[in-house]
Amino acid sequence: MRSEDLIGQLTADLTPVRRMAPPGWQALLWLALAAAAIGLCVLAIGLRHDLQARMALPFELGQWLASVATGICAALAAAMLARADRSAAWGLLPLPPLVLWLASLGWGCLADIVRLGPIEGQLETSWGCLRFTLLLGAPLTAALLLLLRHAGPVRPRPVLLLGALASAALCSAGLTLFHHLDAAVMVLLWHSGAALVLLGLVSLFGDRLLMRAPGSG
Amino acid sequence: MSDGEWEAWMAAAQAGDSRAYDRLLRAALPLLRGVARRRIRDPAEAEDAVQDALLTIHRLRDTYDPARPLKPWLIAITERRAIDRLRRSSRRAGRESAIDEFGETLPDPLANQGEAKVAAAELRSAVAALPEAQRTALGLAKLQDLPLAEASARSGMSIGALKVATHRAVKALRKRLGGEE
Repeated sequence: MRSEDLIGQLTADLTPVRRMAPPGWQALLWLALAAAAIGLCVLAIGLRHDLQARMALPFELGQWLASVATGICAALAAAMLARADRSAAWGLLPLPPLVLWLASLGWGCLADIVRLGPIEGQLETSWGCLRFTLLLGAPLTAALLLLLRHAGPVRPRPVLLLGALASAALCSAGLTLFHHLDAAVMVLLWHSGAALVLLGLVSLFGDRLLMRAPGSG
Repeated sequence: MSDGEWEAWMAAAQAGDSRAYDRLLRAALPLLRGVARRRIRDPAEAEDAVQDALLTIHRLRDTYDPARPLKPWLIAITERRAIDRLRRSSRRAGRESAIDEFGETLPDPLANQGEAKVAAAELRSAVAALPEAQRTALGLAKLQDLPLAEASARSGMSIGALKVATHRAVKALRKRLGGEE
Protein backbone atom coordinates (compact mmCIF):
# COMPACT_ATOMS: atom_id res chain seq x y z
CA MET A 1 0.00 0.00 0.00
CA ARG A 2 1.16 3.52 -0.70
CA SER A 3 1.57 5.84 2.25
CA GLU A 4 -0.82 8.30 0.63
CA ASP A 5 -3.52 5.60 0.57
CA LEU A 6 -2.83 4.78 4.21
CA ILE A 7 -3.35 8.45 5.07
CA GLY A 8 -6.64 8.31 3.21
CA GLN A 9 -7.74 5.34 5.30
CA LEU A 10 -6.59 6.85 8.59
CA THR A 11 -8.37 10.13 7.95
CA ALA A 12 -11.52 8.50 6.59
CA ASP A 13 -12.41 6.84 9.88
CA LEU A 14 -11.13 9.56 12.18
CA THR A 15 -12.92 9.76 15.51
CA PRO A 16 -12.54 12.59 18.03
CA VAL A 17 -10.23 11.78 20.93
CA ARG A 18 -10.06 13.22 24.42
CA ARG A 19 -6.68 14.85 24.89
CA MET A 20 -4.61 13.03 27.48
CA ALA A 21 -3.85 14.85 30.74
CA PRO A 22 -0.37 16.41 30.89
CA PRO A 23 2.32 14.03 32.19
CA GLY A 24 2.75 16.05 35.39
CA TRP A 25 -0.90 15.48 36.22
CA GLN A 26 -0.65 11.79 35.49
CA ALA A 27 2.33 11.49 37.83
CA LEU A 28 0.45 13.43 40.51
CA LEU A 29 -2.61 11.22 40.11
CA TRP A 30 -0.55 8.09 40.54
CA LEU A 31 1.37 9.54 43.49
CA ALA A 32 -1.94 10.31 45.18
CA LEU A 33 -3.07 6.73 44.55
CA ALA A 34 0.20 5.36 45.94
CA ALA A 35 0.02 7.63 48.99
CA ALA A 36 -3.54 6.51 49.64
CA ALA A 37 -2.64 2.82 49.32
CA ILE A 38 0.38 3.15 51.59
CA GLY A 39 -1.63 5.29 54.00
CA LEU A 40 -4.26 2.55 54.22
CA CYS A 41 -1.59 -0.01 55.00
CA VAL A 42 -0.14 2.21 57.70
CA LEU A 43 -3.61 2.69 59.14
CA ALA A 44 -4.21 -1.03 59.15
CA ILE A 45 -0.87 -1.98 60.66
CA GLY A 46 -0.21 1.06 62.83
CA LEU A 47 2.84 3.31 62.97
CA ARG A 48 5.96 1.87 64.51
CA HIS A 49 6.38 2.71 68.15
CA ASP A 50 9.68 4.53 67.77
CA LEU A 51 8.78 6.53 64.64
CA GLN A 52 8.86 9.93 66.32
CA ALA A 53 12.25 9.33 67.84
CA ARG A 54 13.51 8.07 64.48
CA MET A 55 12.25 11.00 62.46
CA ALA A 56 13.77 13.38 64.96
CA LEU A 57 17.18 12.18 63.80
CA PRO A 58 18.20 14.30 60.80
CA PHE A 59 19.99 11.35 59.22
CA GLU A 60 16.98 9.06 59.37
CA LEU A 61 14.65 11.80 58.23
CA GLY A 62 16.96 12.63 55.34
CA GLN A 63 17.08 8.99 54.33
CA TRP A 64 13.31 8.72 54.40
CA LEU A 65 12.89 11.94 52.41
CA ALA A 66 15.40 10.67 49.86
CA SER A 67 13.35 7.52 49.30
CA VAL A 68 10.17 9.57 48.93
CA ALA A 69 11.94 11.94 46.52
CA THR A 70 13.19 8.97 44.51
CA GLY A 71 9.62 7.71 44.18
CA ILE A 72 8.24 11.11 43.16
CA CYS A 73 11.02 11.82 40.66
CA ALA A 74 10.83 8.35 39.13
CA ALA A 75 7.06 8.64 38.68
CA LEU A 76 7.40 12.05 37.04
CA ALA A 77 10.25 10.84 34.83
CA ALA A 78 8.21 7.81 33.74
CA ALA A 79 5.25 10.01 32.83
CA MET A 80 7.52 12.37 30.86
CA LEU A 81 9.35 9.62 29.00
CA ALA A 82 6.03 8.06 28.04
CA ARG A 83 5.52 11.07 25.70
CA ALA A 84 7.32 10.86 22.40
CA ASP A 85 8.59 14.44 22.31
CA ARG A 86 9.94 14.78 25.85
CA SER A 87 13.67 14.76 26.33
CA ALA A 88 15.32 11.49 27.33
CA ALA A 89 17.16 13.51 30.00
CA TRP A 90 14.04 13.20 32.17
CA GLY A 91 15.23 9.68 32.85
CA LEU A 92 18.10 11.13 34.89
CA LEU A 93 15.79 13.01 37.26
CA PRO A 94 15.48 10.26 39.90
CA LEU A 95 19.22 9.57 39.93
CA PRO A 96 20.31 12.22 42.48
CA PRO A 97 17.75 11.23 45.17
CA LEU A 98 18.37 7.55 44.38
CA VAL A 99 22.11 7.95 44.86
CA LEU A 100 21.49 9.93 48.05
CA TRP A 101 19.10 7.29 49.36
CA LEU A 102 21.38 4.33 48.63
CA ALA A 103 24.42 6.20 49.91
CA SER A 104 22.63 7.02 53.16
CA LEU A 105 21.72 3.35 53.56
CA GLY A 106 25.32 2.38 52.96
CA TRP A 107 26.55 5.02 55.37
CA GLY A 108 24.02 3.76 57.91
CA CYS A 109 25.49 0.28 57.58
CA LEU A 110 28.98 1.59 58.32
CA ALA A 111 27.69 3.56 61.30
CA ASP A 112 25.94 0.44 62.58
CA ILE A 113 29.12 -1.59 62.35
CA VAL A 114 30.78 0.98 64.56
CA ARG A 115 27.78 1.08 66.90
CA LEU A 116 26.69 -2.54 66.99
CA GLY A 117 29.76 -4.50 65.96
CA PRO A 118 30.26 -6.94 63.08
CA ILE A 119 27.60 -7.01 60.43
CA GLU A 120 26.85 -10.73 60.87
CA GLY A 121 25.31 -10.02 64.24
CA GLN A 122 22.79 -7.65 62.70
CA LEU A 123 21.38 -9.96 60.08
CA GLU A 124 17.99 -11.44 60.47
CA THR A 125 15.34 -12.45 57.99
CA SER A 126 12.51 -10.11 57.27
CA TRP A 127 10.22 -11.67 54.75
CA GLY A 128 7.66 -9.08 55.75
CA CYS A 129 9.55 -6.35 53.88
CA LEU A 130 9.66 -8.40 50.74
CA ARG A 131 6.03 -9.39 51.01
CA PHE A 132 4.90 -5.83 51.56
CA THR A 133 6.88 -4.43 48.65
CA LEU A 134 5.64 -7.13 46.31
CA LEU A 135 2.03 -7.13 47.44
CA LEU A 136 1.73 -3.36 47.26
CA GLY A 137 4.49 -2.54 44.78
CA ALA A 138 3.32 -4.87 42.03
CA PRO A 139 -0.22 -3.46 41.79
CA LEU A 140 1.11 0.10 42.09
CA THR A 141 3.55 -0.56 39.25
CA ALA A 142 0.80 -2.13 37.19
CA ALA A 143 -1.42 0.90 37.83
CA LEU A 144 1.31 3.28 36.69
CA LEU A 145 2.03 1.27 33.57
CA LEU A 146 -1.66 1.15 32.75
CA LEU A 147 -1.83 4.91 33.15
CA LEU A 148 1.25 5.27 30.92
CA ARG A 149 0.45 2.52 28.44
CA HIS A 150 0.84 4.99 25.58
CA ALA A 151 4.58 4.61 26.23
CA GLY A 152 4.40 1.19 24.57
CA PRO A 153 5.11 2.34 21.02
CA VAL A 154 7.51 5.06 22.17
CA ARG A 155 9.91 4.16 25.00
CA PRO A 156 8.57 1.06 26.76
CA ARG A 157 11.62 -0.12 28.68
CA PRO A 158 12.77 3.06 30.45
CA VAL A 159 9.16 3.70 31.47
CA LEU A 160 8.89 0.16 32.84
CA LEU A 161 12.03 0.49 34.91
CA LEU A 162 11.18 3.96 36.20
CA GLY A 163 7.68 2.78 37.10
CA ALA A 164 9.05 -0.12 39.12
CA LEU A 165 11.60 2.18 40.77
CA ALA A 166 8.88 4.67 41.73
CA SER A 167 6.76 1.94 43.30
CA ALA A 168 9.66 0.30 45.11
CA ALA A 169 10.95 3.59 46.52
CA LEU A 170 7.54 4.62 47.80
CA CYS A 171 6.89 1.17 49.25
CA SER A 172 10.20 1.36 51.05
CA ALA A 173 9.28 4.80 52.41
CA GLY A 174 5.94 3.34 53.51
CA LEU A 175 7.63 0.38 55.17
CA THR A 176 9.80 2.69 57.21
CA LEU A 177 6.66 4.17 58.75
CA PHE A 178 5.42 0.98 60.38
CA HIS A 179 8.05 -1.67 60.04
CA HIS A 180 10.61 -1.88 62.76
CA LEU A 181 14.10 -2.63 61.47
CA ASP A 182 16.93 -1.61 63.69
CA ALA A 183 19.96 -2.10 61.53
CA ALA A 184 20.52 -0.13 58.34
CA VAL A 185 21.99 -3.17 56.67
CA MET A 186 18.63 -4.87 57.10
CA VAL A 187 16.88 -1.93 55.52
CA LEU A 188 19.36 -1.92 52.69
CA LEU A 189 19.13 -5.65 52.19
CA TRP A 190 15.39 -6.09 52.42
CA HIS A 191 14.18 -2.82 51.00
CA SER A 192 16.52 -2.78 48.04
CA GLY A 193 16.23 -6.56 47.72
CA ALA A 194 12.48 -6.19 47.44
CA ALA A 195 12.95 -3.35 44.97
CA LEU A 196 15.22 -5.56 42.85
CA VAL A 197 12.73 -8.42 42.91
CA LEU A 198 10.04 -5.97 41.81
CA LEU A 199 12.26 -4.67 39.00
CA GLY A 200 12.88 -8.26 37.92
CA LEU A 201 9.18 -9.07 37.91
CA VAL A 202 8.43 -5.96 35.90
CA SER A 203 11.07 -6.67 33.31
CA LEU A 204 9.65 -10.20 33.01
CA PHE A 205 5.97 -9.34 32.76
CA GLY A 206 5.82 -5.59 32.20
CA ASP A 207 6.71 -5.89 28.54
CA ARG A 208 3.51 -7.72 27.86
CA LEU A 209 1.47 -5.22 29.86
CA LEU A 210 2.92 -2.24 28.09
CA MET A 211 3.27 -3.69 24.62
CA ARG A 212 -0.16 -5.20 24.41
CA ALA A 213 -2.30 -2.53 25.97
CA PRO A 214 -2.39 -0.05 23.08
CA GLY A 215 -2.85 -2.79 20.48
CA SER A 216 -0.51 -3.30 17.61
CA GLY A 217 -2.38 -1.84 14.65
CA MET B 1 4.12 26.37 6.36
CA SER B 2 3.14 29.19 8.63
CA ASP B 3 3.90 29.06 12.32
CA GLY B 4 1.54 26.92 14.34
CA GLU B 5 -0.40 25.69 11.32
CA TRP B 6 0.47 22.04 11.82
CA GLU B 7 -0.26 22.30 15.54
CA ALA B 8 -3.66 23.84 14.79
CA TRP B 9 -4.41 21.06 12.28
CA MET B 10 -3.45 18.41 14.80
CA ALA B 11 -5.61 20.03 17.49
CA ALA B 12 -8.51 20.04 15.01
CA ALA B 13 -7.78 16.38 14.19
CA GLN B 14 -8.00 15.53 17.88
CA ALA B 15 -11.45 17.09 17.84
CA GLY B 16 -12.39 14.87 14.89
CA ASP B 17 -11.76 17.18 11.89
CA SER B 18 -10.73 14.68 9.24
CA ARG B 19 -9.94 17.32 6.61
CA ALA B 20 -7.43 19.04 8.87
CA TYR B 21 -5.98 15.63 9.71
CA ASP B 22 -5.66 14.72 6.04
CA ARG B 23 -4.01 18.03 5.24
CA LEU B 24 -1.60 17.61 8.14
CA LEU B 25 -0.53 14.06 7.36
CA ARG B 26 -0.01 14.85 3.66
CA ALA B 27 1.97 17.96 4.53
CA ALA B 28 4.07 16.03 7.05
CA LEU B 29 4.71 13.05 4.76
CA PRO B 30 7.92 14.47 3.20
CA LEU B 31 9.25 15.18 6.69
CA LEU B 32 8.51 11.61 7.84
CA ARG B 33 10.09 10.21 4.67
CA GLY B 34 13.18 12.32 5.22
CA VAL B 35 13.56 11.06 8.77
CA ALA B 36 13.05 7.42 7.77
CA ARG B 37 15.44 7.61 4.83
CA ARG B 38 18.17 9.14 6.93
CA ARG B 39 18.07 5.95 9.01
CA ILE B 40 17.20 3.29 6.42
CA ARG B 41 18.94 3.00 3.08
CA ASP B 42 16.48 0.62 1.42
CA PRO B 43 13.68 2.86 0.06
CA ALA B 44 10.94 0.20 0.40
CA GLU B 45 11.92 -0.54 3.98
CA ALA B 46 12.04 3.20 4.73
CA GLU B 47 8.55 3.61 3.30
CA ASP B 48 7.33 0.77 5.53
CA ALA B 49 8.80 2.62 8.51
CA VAL B 50 6.93 5.76 7.39
CA GLN B 51 3.68 3.77 7.38
CA ASP B 52 4.45 2.32 10.82
CA ALA B 53 5.01 5.90 11.97
CA LEU B 54 1.68 7.02 10.47
CA LEU B 55 -0.11 4.22 12.36
CA THR B 56 1.63 5.14 15.61
CA ILE B 57 0.85 8.83 15.14
CA HIS B 58 -2.75 7.87 14.60
CA ARG B 59 -2.84 5.68 17.69
CA LEU B 60 -1.10 8.20 19.94
CA ARG B 61 -2.90 11.27 18.64
CA ASP B 62 -4.55 11.82 22.03
CA THR B 63 -1.13 12.12 23.71
CA TYR B 64 -0.11 15.17 21.67
CA ASP B 65 -0.24 18.46 23.57
CA PRO B 66 -1.11 21.30 21.12
CA ALA B 67 0.74 23.78 23.31
CA ARG B 68 3.98 22.09 22.24
CA PRO B 69 5.49 22.09 18.75
CA LEU B 70 4.28 19.18 16.63
CA LYS B 71 7.39 18.55 14.53
CA PRO B 72 9.58 17.12 17.31
CA TRP B 73 6.69 14.83 18.25
CA LEU B 74 6.33 13.56 14.68
CA ILE B 75 10.08 13.19 14.25
CA ALA B 76 10.50 11.29 17.54
CA ILE B 77 7.78 8.80 16.60
CA THR B 78 9.18 8.29 13.11
CA GLU B 79 12.71 7.81 14.45
CA ARG B 80 11.40 5.17 16.83
CA ARG B 81 9.58 3.25 14.10
CA ALA B 82 12.60 3.48 11.79
CA ILE B 83 14.88 2.07 14.50
CA ASP B 84 12.37 -0.72 15.14
CA ARG B 85 12.40 -1.55 11.43
CA LEU B 86 16.18 -1.55 11.31
CA ARG B 87 16.36 -3.88 14.31
CA ARG B 88 13.81 -6.23 12.84
CA SER B 89 15.49 -6.34 9.45
CA SER B 90 18.92 -6.94 10.97
CA ARG B 91 17.45 -9.81 13.00
CA ARG B 92 15.88 -11.17 9.83
CA ALA B 93 19.12 -10.79 7.92
CA GLY B 94 20.76 -13.08 10.45
CA ARG B 95 18.21 -15.82 9.81
CA GLU B 96 17.64 -15.58 6.08
CA SER B 97 19.73 -15.36 2.95
CA ALA B 98 18.76 -13.57 -0.21
CA ILE B 99 16.89 -15.69 -2.74
CA ASP B 100 19.03 -14.34 -5.63
CA GLU B 101 21.87 -16.62 -4.65
CA PHE B 102 19.72 -19.57 -5.67
CA GLY B 103 18.53 -18.17 -9.01
CA GLU B 104 19.29 -21.48 -10.70
CA THR B 105 16.69 -23.86 -9.39
CA LEU B 106 17.84 -27.08 -11.03
CA PRO B 107 21.31 -28.23 -12.03
CA ASP B 108 20.23 -29.32 -15.58
CA PRO B 109 20.98 -26.34 -17.87
CA LEU B 110 17.84 -27.02 -19.96
CA ALA B 111 15.66 -26.90 -16.86
CA ASN B 112 16.25 -23.22 -16.34
CA GLN B 113 15.15 -21.99 -19.74
CA GLY B 114 11.56 -21.45 -18.74
CA GLU B 115 11.88 -17.75 -18.40
CA ALA B 116 13.73 -17.39 -21.68
CA LYS B 117 11.01 -19.37 -23.42
CA VAL B 118 8.28 -17.24 -21.92
CA ALA B 119 10.15 -14.10 -22.96
CA ALA B 120 10.55 -15.40 -26.50
CA ALA B 121 6.84 -16.20 -26.72
CA GLU B 122 6.00 -12.73 -25.44
CA LEU B 123 8.29 -11.18 -28.03
CA ARG B 124 6.75 -13.21 -30.84
CA SER B 125 3.23 -12.23 -29.91
CA ALA B 126 4.29 -8.61 -29.55
CA VAL B 127 5.82 -8.64 -33.02
CA ALA B 128 2.70 -10.31 -34.41
CA ALA B 129 0.58 -7.50 -32.99
CA LEU B 130 2.52 -4.81 -34.89
CA PRO B 131 0.94 -3.21 -37.99
CA GLU B 132 1.93 -4.92 -41.24
CA ALA B 133 4.29 -2.18 -42.45
CA GLN B 134 6.15 -1.99 -39.15
CA ARG B 135 6.49 -5.76 -38.96
CA THR B 136 7.93 -5.93 -42.49
CA ALA B 137 10.30 -3.06 -41.84
CA LEU B 138 11.50 -4.58 -38.58
CA GLY B 139 11.99 -7.98 -40.19
CA LEU B 140 14.02 -6.71 -43.08
CA ALA B 141 16.03 -3.94 -41.47
CA LYS B 142 16.70 -5.40 -38.03
CA LEU B 143 16.25 -9.17 -38.05
CA GLN B 144 17.68 -9.91 -41.50
CA ASP B 145 19.99 -6.93 -41.15
CA LEU B 146 19.67 -5.92 -44.83
CA PRO B 147 21.05 -2.58 -46.03
CA LEU B 148 18.27 0.03 -46.20
CA ALA B 149 18.44 0.21 -50.02
CA GLU B 150 17.86 -3.52 -50.40
CA ALA B 151 15.15 -3.55 -47.76
CA SER B 152 13.51 -0.70 -49.64
CA ALA B 153 13.70 -2.62 -52.92
CA ARG B 154 12.22 -5.77 -51.41
CA SER B 155 9.41 -4.15 -49.49
CA GLY B 156 8.54 -1.43 -51.96
CA MET B 157 8.72 1.15 -49.12
CA SER B 158 10.85 4.28 -49.41
CA ILE B 159 13.99 4.45 -47.24
CA GLY B 160 12.44 7.22 -45.15
CA ALA B 161 9.25 5.22 -44.61
CA LEU B 162 11.34 2.17 -43.63
CA LYS B 163 13.29 4.18 -41.07
CA VAL B 164 10.13 5.61 -39.53
CA ALA B 165 8.37 2.22 -39.47
CA THR B 166 11.38 0.48 -37.88
CA HIS B 167 11.68 3.17 -35.25
CA ARG B 168 7.98 2.97 -34.44
CA ALA B 169 8.08 -0.82 -34.28
CA VAL B 170 10.97 -0.82 -31.80
CA LYS B 171 9.26 1.80 -29.72
CA ALA B 172 5.99 -0.15 -29.71
CA LEU B 173 7.78 -3.37 -28.70
CA ARG B 174 9.66 -1.65 -25.94
CA LYS B 175 6.45 -0.21 -24.60
CA ARG B 176 4.62 -3.51 -24.77
CA LEU B 177 7.40 -5.52 -23.16
CA GLY B 178 7.76 -3.08 -20.31
CA GLY B 179 11.06 -1.50 -21.32
CA GLU B 180 9.53 1.93 -21.06
CA GLU B 181 6.81 3.38 -18.86
